[in-house]
This record gives sequence, C-alpha cells and structure tokens, in this order.
Amino acid sequence: MKVEFSSILSKNEWLKPVLGFVGLFALCTLFSPVTGKGTKIFIKFDNLSNVLRQVSEIGIISIGMTLVIITSGIDLSVGSVLALAATLTAFGIMDWQLGFWLTIIIVLFAGAFAGFVSGALISWGKIQAFIVTLAMMTGARGFALFISDSNSRNIGFGQNAAPEIFKIFTTSFFGIPFPVFVFVLVAIIFSVILRKMRLGRHIYAIGSNEEAARLAGLRVNWIRTSAYVFSGLLAALSGIIHSAQLYQGNPNDGVAFELDAIAAVVIGGTSLQGGKGTMEGTIAGVLIIGILSNILGLHGIQKDFQLMLKGAIIVSAVLLQEGNLRFSFFRK
Amino acid sequence: MSLLEFINISKSFSGVQVLYDISFSIEKGKLFALVGENGAGKSTLMKILCGILNEYQGDIKLNGNKIIFNNPREAENAGITIIHQELNLVAELSVAENIFLGREPTNRLGFIDFKKMYAEAEVLLRRFDFPFSVETKINKLPIGWQQMVEIAKALRLKAEIIVMDEPTSALSENEIKFLFEQIAQLKKSGKTIIYISHRMKEIFEISDEVITLRDGRFVGKYSTSKINQDFLVSKMAGREIKTDRVRKQYHSTEQLLSLNSVSVIGSNKKILSELSFSLNCGEVLGIAGLLGAGRTELLKFLYGTDNSGFNGEIKFLGELFKPTSPTKSIKNKIIYLSEDRKGEGIFAELSNLKNGSISILPKISRLGFIQKKNEYKVVTKKVNELNTKMDSIFQKITNLSGGNQQKVLLSRVLLINPKLLLLDEPTRGIDVAAKQEIYELIDKLKAEGMGIIFTSSEIPELLSVTDQILVLAEGKQKALLETEKTNSVEILKYAFEE
Repeated sequence: MKVEFSSILSKNEWLKPVLGFVGLFALCTLFSPVTGKGTKIFIKFDNLSNVLRQVSEIGIISIGMTLVIITSGIDLSVGSVLALAATLTAFGIMDWQLGFWLTIIIVLFAGAFAGFVSGALISWGKIQAFIVTLAMMTGARGFALFISDSNSRNIGFGQNAAPEIFKIFTTSFFGIPFPVFVFVLVAIIFSVILRKMRLGRHIYAIGSNEEAARLAGLRVNWIRTSAYVFSGLLAALSGIIHSAQLYQGNPNDGVAFELDAIAAVVIGGTSLQGGKGTMEGTIAGVLIIGILSNILGLHGIQKDFQLMLKGAIIVSAVLLQEGNLRFSFFRK
Repeated sequence: MSLLEFINISKSFSGVQVLYDISFSIEKGKLFALVGENGAGKSTLMKILCGILNEYQGDIKLNGNKIIFNNPREAENAGITIIHQELNLVAELSVAENIFLGREPTNRLGFIDFKKMYAEAEVLLRRFDFPFSVETKINKLPIGWQQMVEIAKALRLKAEIIVMDEPTSALSENEIKFLFEQIAQLKKSGKTIIYISHRMKEIFEISDEVITLRDGRFVGKYSTSKINQDFLVSKMAGREIKTDRVRKQYHSTEQLLSLNSVSVIGSNKKILSELSFSLNCGEVLGIAGLLGAGRTELLKFLYGTDNSGFNGEIKFLGELFKPTSPTKSIKNKIIYLSEDRKGEGIFAELSNLKNGSISILPKISRLGFIQKKNEYKVVTKKVNELNTKMDSIFQKITNLSGGNQQKVLLSRVLLINPKLLLLDEPTRGIDVAAKQEIYELIDKLKAEGMGIIFTSSEIPELLSVTDQILVLAEGKQKALLETEKTNSVEILKYAFEE
C-alpha cells in the first residue's frame, strides 16, 4: 500500500502540493477561531471568498511566472508591470477618456509588449533572464512614474468619470468577487495549455534540455519569448484588477510581487532549473500562502511573524518536494 | 626495474567493458607514446592512473608498491600528474596563483604569502625562460605558454610521472618545437613522460617507446627506433572485419545529396574544407576520423545548426540546398541524432512518450492541441518496432539503459519519416546486443530507400555498415573510399595523415 502511494506521488507531480494544501486547509479549519455562536470563522463562506479575492492578483501573476520558470527562466518585472498597468488603467479611463474596452486592450498590449521585449532580449540577445527582467523591472517602474508624474491617480465614478462597467471588478456574483472568476478562468486556460497543447509541451522541452529541443526542430527562441509575453500579459491583467480594487492607479504599487509569485510557484513544486512543474501545483502554492496569512490574521498575529513563517514555509515546501530531507538526515 | 606497472587492469562503465586485462610496465626517464584509435581506452587508463577513476579491477604498482588513489590529489602527492588536453587553468588568476592553486603558501595567520609564492613561481619558470611576469593573468598568455604553466604546476608538485594528453593539439609549429625542447629537458632531469597523441610525426620524433592499445586491450610495447609508421598503424587497426554480417546493397541511382567542394567557415577559421561526395537513396556513407577531425561538425552543418557561411555547392534531391535551421531541415525530411545523448538528446524530466513524439507534434496535433491517443499509438508502435525495453512508456526516459534511451531517440528521428538520416556515433556507450540491433535497423532503412550518413570511431563498425567511407582529418577530406575495396589499415592511414 505504501509503495503504491509513493509511486502515485512520483507519477503525479501536482499531487504533493495539492495534498499539502488540503492538509493545511484541514489544520486551519481545526484551529480556526470560533464565533460566539460556535461556528468556525475560517470556513465561513465570506472568509473563504475573501481569501480567494486576496490571492487572485498574485495568483494570476504566478500563472505567467510558472510558464517562465518551466522554461528555466525568471521574470522579475511582473510587479513593476503590474504597477505600470494599474497606472495606465487609471489614466486611460480618467484622463485620456479611452473608454473601458480600449483601455483594457491597450493595457494588456503594453504588458505583453514588455514581456516580448524581455523574451526577445533573452532569446536573441543571449542575455541572462535575471538581468533582462531586472532591467525591465526598473524600466517599467520608471515609465509608470513618468506617466503619472509620480502620483497615484484616483479612479472616480459618477459624472464625467469611469464608466459603470468598470465596477464589474468590485462586484460579486453568487457571493464570489469577480476577480476570483478571472483567476479561475486564467488558471484553467493555462493548465490546459500546459497539459494538452503543443506550446505547453514545447515549454517543458526547452526548459528540460534547450539544445536537444533545438535539434528536435523546436523554435526555441519563439517558444521562450511566448512564455515571457504571457507573463507580461497576465501581470497587466492583474494590474487592471489591482487598480479596480483600490479605485486608483498607483505607480508605487506591486513592489516585491514578483517574489511572492516566485514563492508560490516554488511551493507548488516547479523547479527553478526548468523542465518540471505544474499549473495545479502553482494554484495550490498560491492558496497555501493565502490561507496561511488568513488564519494568522484571524488569530491576530502580526505581519512580522507572518513573514518569518512564510520564509520557513518556502524552504520546507521545497525540502519536502525534493524528498532530500529524509535521506540526508537518516542515511548517514 | 620498472617504475610503474599496470597489472591486469579491467574497467567497465555501466555494464560496458572498456578495458580488458591490461598489463605493461614503464621505466624511469623515458618518454612513452600511448597510441590507439578513439575509444581504444587510452584516456580511461590514464584517468585510472591519475586517480580520476577509482573503481577498476587489477593493480597498479609504483616502484614495486601497490598504489590506490581515491582522487587526483593523492596521485599528485605520489608524483603522478596529468596535463589534460583542455588546460585546467583559472583564466582570471595570475600565473603564480595558478601554479599554487589549492596549495598556496600561507603565513601564520592563514593569509596567502604572495611574496613567497611569486618568488617560488619565478624559480620554477626560470628553466623555461618564461618571458612574462608571474603576476600576469593566465588569459593574457598565448596558449603555448599556458601549457608551460601547466608543466610548471606539475614540477612544483615534484611530479615524477607526467601524463600529457594531446598537448600539441592547440599549438602552433613554433610552440610545438619549444614544447619538445622542454620535454627533452624534463627527460634529462629524470622525469618519466606518458604522451598521448594522434600525430604520427610527433610520436616518431620524441618518443622512446610506443605502447599500443586497441579496443581496450594491450597490443604491444615497441622501441620507437625499431618500428615504422605502417607497422604502428597495422597494430592499431589489427582486428579485421567480422564477415558474419552480409552487407546488403540497395542503392538506387536516385541521387539524394551531393556536395561539391564545400568549405564551411566558422567564427574565425575554416571548420571544414573542400568536401566533395555524393549519396544516393538507400546508401550509407560512413565518416571516419579522429577526435576533432570534423565529423560532428559536418553532420551539424548539414542539419543547419550553426549559421556559419559556406562555399561550394550542395544539392539535395537534385536541387540547390542551403542548410538553415533544424526546423527547416525537418521539413525537408533531414534529421540529426546527436552523439551526446545526455547533453543534446534526451529530455531527462520527460517521459519516453514525450521524448519520442517531440519532433512530430505538428503532425499529431489539431488547433494546437496534441491528439494524445494518436501520439500514444504512433510512438508505441515505433518503439516496439525497434524492440525497446521499457516498463511503461509514461516513465521518465532516465529510467532506461543507454541502449534503450538511444532507441527512443531513434524512434524520435524515424517518426518524421526522414529521407536523409544523420547519425552521429549512434552506437556510442551502448551494449553489444543493442549495437547489433542498430546495424540491422540501418540495413532495413536502406532497403526502404533512406540515405544515411553515419559517423563512428569504430572502424570495423564502419566497414560492416556503410557503402562508402569518407575519411576526415582536421576538417579536410583525406579520402573517399568504397567500403568493399578498403580495410581498416588504409582508413587509419588516411585518418592519421597530416
């Protein structure tokens, strides 16, 4: 029985992080604070839908990051691209009066373009991803500050302001906030791409062995670039949601979001060496971080302690995934 | 009395035996040339001597005492040093720092004593009339002088036996002359040198004795003054073709590929020059040559992996052809299988199925979605056809043996239905049974009209599989031989030609 279980685990890479999430969810339920009436706050519908809303921004970014990391790359620019997108959204709607749809299209295009520039520099310019996206991170932030004159731009409603449809991002359907639907939809689309489509297979292949992929006839440079394009596009989408939630476009937002996204991807079992990882794992990673800070918040535990615990979680998640822990401790 | 004795040394790599009962001895103060074809076992034997490989059968005796080295450092302490073909110097450090790397003189506080280090380095290099400061960074030195630094490093370790692996491969004529003068000096001071080389001229110029290996076996030890080049080549080639395999001929008269005085220019020098040959459908062209002769370069050039320019004329199926990229080549039904299975062949994280199907994904997907049933069907059929042994096609490819991994990769390239198949050392590192199967496969593919270019370091293999053999040496075409009318001695003679 035990043997079978371990072989199932090794065949389905996504199972470990998902089981980790389930286990953590059970623990959170067990140790949830209780209301006067005796119901557990953690598993109340409102609380859970709130968790989902909170993770949807990082979640969407993490999906793009997963693609990039599977190609054995990294995208440090997503936080800045998010800020740029949020700023552009506010200005597009309020100052430039582009209307809802045109604004969204332009913002998404800007994000994808940033990703394309990074991907092209990495692929054809042969510069390391870390350096290129570090430069993009700096540059995109600068551009956001430039267009906004370093000020955040409020998004107002009512007369001569944002169109009513923009409120969709803060509306809930069946009690679930709209951004959650976007997150779920994006997650489904990209897990299908990774699992079922040629592009997904190619992304794994170039991450696993770039030279073999080239010799097998894959257009390595285009495939890698497309991963960065998706990463930029999704960061921009997340930026639109971000600005709508806060009713403002702030060029200073999104700092260190890339690190949260990388953490979620890594907790989800994707290897930074590339060629390995799943979208399901990343979603589990996002949710693990989400419910963890939620339960700690419910218990009134402060940010400082939360951060320390998050650090510990990242390391232990990777140790568990790699399965190195047991061997190195008990063999010698 | 002999200085160093090898007694019944045998060695296998994951089930494939590469050295068989090698026994010989060497005496102090002489220069021994160690010769043999690629894969004869020269490097493996020297790696064992220098502590790089340490699992083997048999004994090594130094001055009559049995020695066991766990690592190169222990060998160095015993006075045995190897100078690799690829120099082991740290480019960013100075000459003196390189000589003392890992064994820096320190003062009482543990800091490096630079004064002492520079002084000692200068003493060591004085014998070479070293024209640079010992504080010069290694990457500022010409390659010939870098070699001298390596030798100085060996001397500093009080090396008594110095192994040199093709030391002249990157040197110019003048540098070689200078190196030989220094080697003569070393000999005079009582050092023993084991010199690995493919260059006949050098072997006869500087060696006292020649030790010949063939197919992992010791062939003989000869006094250089008593033999000539033809004798040596015949000893290296030795084994004649096994005639148990009847080579079938199918070639049609339809010309598949022809090269007319094609030269390929790399980033700064000619990689290949003046190649002319042609290949018909259903024909196998073998490429023979020593390491660095340009075999892989030729196949990769035809596949379009590097975009270096070329002169001359290439025709494929009667039309002018210019290799541009692997993607294009696959569309033209040309495909290449790398000699470097791990580095350029397999996707270690992916399953056998995904490894097999990677090059035909466009064919088996609809609107970008992979038709998984179809994928499973075609890949399974092909790997079964090649008699690949695996527990499950969904397993990672790294669970398979080398031979079976190779069959999965062969499935990958065959699935595109190639017209021209470029096989680079397809039998390297796989067991005898799998080799036989690959030969039979090649026969079958010939019968189907496929044109195959096949490189191998094993000449008997070329003789039994090919129809023509192109011999390369240093990127130049030395001979184009009909397999029927040639033999291993002739091939080796051309391969060693300069």
